[in-house]
Amino acid sequence: MSNREIIVENLVKKYGSEVTAVNDISLHVQSGQIYGFLGPNGAGKSTTIKILTTLGLPTSGTARVGGYDVITQSNDVRRIAGVALQDIGIDPLMKPGELLALQARLFGANRSDAKARANYLLHLVQLADDANRRVGTYSGGMKRRLDLAMALVHDPDVLFLDEPTTGLDPASRRDIWREVRRLNQEMGMTIFLTTQYLEEADELADTIGIIADGKIVTTGSPAQLKAAVGKESLNLAFAEKSLAERASQLLAPEVDRAQVDRDTVRLYMPEAARAIPGVVDRLQQANLEPISLTLTQPTLDDVFLQVTGQALESNAAQAF
Amino acid sequence: MTVQAAQLRQELPRPMGRASFWTQIGLITWQNLVTIFRRPEAVLPPIGISLFFLLIYDSTLGGAASFIPNLGSNSYLGFILPLSIVSSSLSGAGIAAQNLVRNIEDGYFDKLLLTPVYRSALLTGTILSGGFILGLQATVVVGVALLMGLQVATGVLGVLAVIGLAVLLGLGFAGFTMSAALGSGNAAVVQSASFIFFPLTFLAPTFVPLELLDGWLKTAAQINPITYVLEAMRAVLNSGWDGPVLLRGVAACVILGSLMYILTLRALRIRTTRK
Repeated sequence: MSNREIIVENLVKKYGSEVTAVNDISLHVQSGQIYGFLGPNGAGKSTTIKILTTLGLPTSGTARVGGYDVITQSNDVRRIAGVALQDIGIDPLMKPGELLALQARLFGANRSDAKARANYLLHLVQLADDANRRVGTYSGGMKRRLDLAMALVHDPDVLFLDEPTTGLDPASRRDIWREVRRLNQEMGMTIFLTTQYLEEADELADTIGIIADGKIVTTGSPAQLKAAVGKESLNLAFAEKSLAERASQLLAPEVDRAQVDRDTVRLYMPEAARAIPGVVDRLQQANLEPISLTLTQPTLDDVFLQVTGQALESNAAQAF
Repeated sequence: MTVQAAQLRQELPRPMGRASFWTQIGLITWQNLVTIFRRPEAVLPPIGISLFFLLIYDSTLGGAASFIPNLGSNSYLGFILPLSIVSSSLSGAGIAAQNLVRNIEDGYFDKLLLTPVYRSALLTGTILSGGFILGLQATVVVGVALLMGLQVATGVLGVLAVIGLAVLLGLGFAGFTMSAALGSGNAAVVQSASFIFFPLTFLAPTFVPLELLDGWLKTAAQINPITYVLEAMRAVLNSGWDGPVLLRGVAACVILGSLMYILTLRALRIRTTRK
């Protein structure tokens, strides 16, 4: 099998002297892996993917995709990499088969092969029944699937997906996930995926890198990252943040760790379920009434909260 | 993978190369033409405006044209038709640029940059599609003039020469609007750039021959490339083949077109340079 690795070393991207979008990141994605690059809006995910796909240049550092240097061998990188960017790049006046065949021909396919490949890809992303419609009439989910098909037109070794399910309904999101997994398992494609959805990274990625403020703050498999947090948590939501902070001060001495995120306090401890009656008693004695009480197993959200001090899902929600 | 997709995939060769430069030009030209023709609202108004001017000028000024020399067997129609064709070239020149800026705005331009497309093929294909549209527009305008009774002194070859001049001139203007598209990525800027050349059509021997102009207007007309295109077209239509006049017209188009092509290449380089 060809080299399908992604190796990034000390990558930095600055805009002017003020803004550092990517701050000295290094990562290694092995051939055939799905790497989830997880972080909130503005963390540096899209800037990194633009550099890796030859659309941007780093200020310093190096990156190799499939063995090719993204700065000096950009044509080779484009030849072996497929890219579906966050902003879907399709001409709404064209029909899907036309777009796919044109793309295939630019990559050197002859007319009949390009047509056959377009036909195959339309079936692959389940758009064959809508092949005679102009792309401008497609729903958001259909456009995403077509964009994915365009990225696959030359059977890339490495596939870059920049927030592939942002703005999609749950059903379309699951369709994309299924397709990504299939591409990885059946074709051995290395997939570099940016996302701000924890569920997506958890569902797809073999390895997750969490990025915040331009830096990778932690890396590991979903299981490793969750194990590092290790404990169940009892989550108490209050009417306002000051109440959550009071509850945190009250209960912190009795748990392994207490963390306040807006109006919620999370209490990390082993066997949290058994501790519920005692916690409720203490709160009542202090005249603190939570709005809700939930018990959760460790999730990537806990990992993110622990390493960045803020919850990711609420960040993602704010993005809409 | 669905069973059908799996069957379709059997023995499908992997395209791992790059189409030749000329194939790429053909593909990009085709892509532009397909999408331009799917927007008839972009193609038809320039033709309509040109025909409107042709009818208005011929009707209002045609009766007082006896002072114009060398009209041959034509009325004022043969004199004013080149203005109408040049107007059509000017307004039609923006069509390819509008298509380009549309693709910049919808992200398809960036998608193409992620393929092994030659940057110059991307540019040339877009310009050629503009040339095709310009030729089509000029053909319609000349066709209507023939229906109105135009007699072309140089026959069918003369008609082709006039259309060729219209295309050449239009490509120069198209280069300018395309550099605006590449520089700004903004449809409103392209729209404005399309109108910048319009005053030039009136700083020329627009309604009367150059020798009847005077003062600053004559000076402006003498340095205006449109003047030489109008004179070449008028000679071909009304008096016959005049080598030096035709050559001046072609030279004006080639010089303008070359300068604009360089400007557009530079704008493309700036847009596609990685930052």
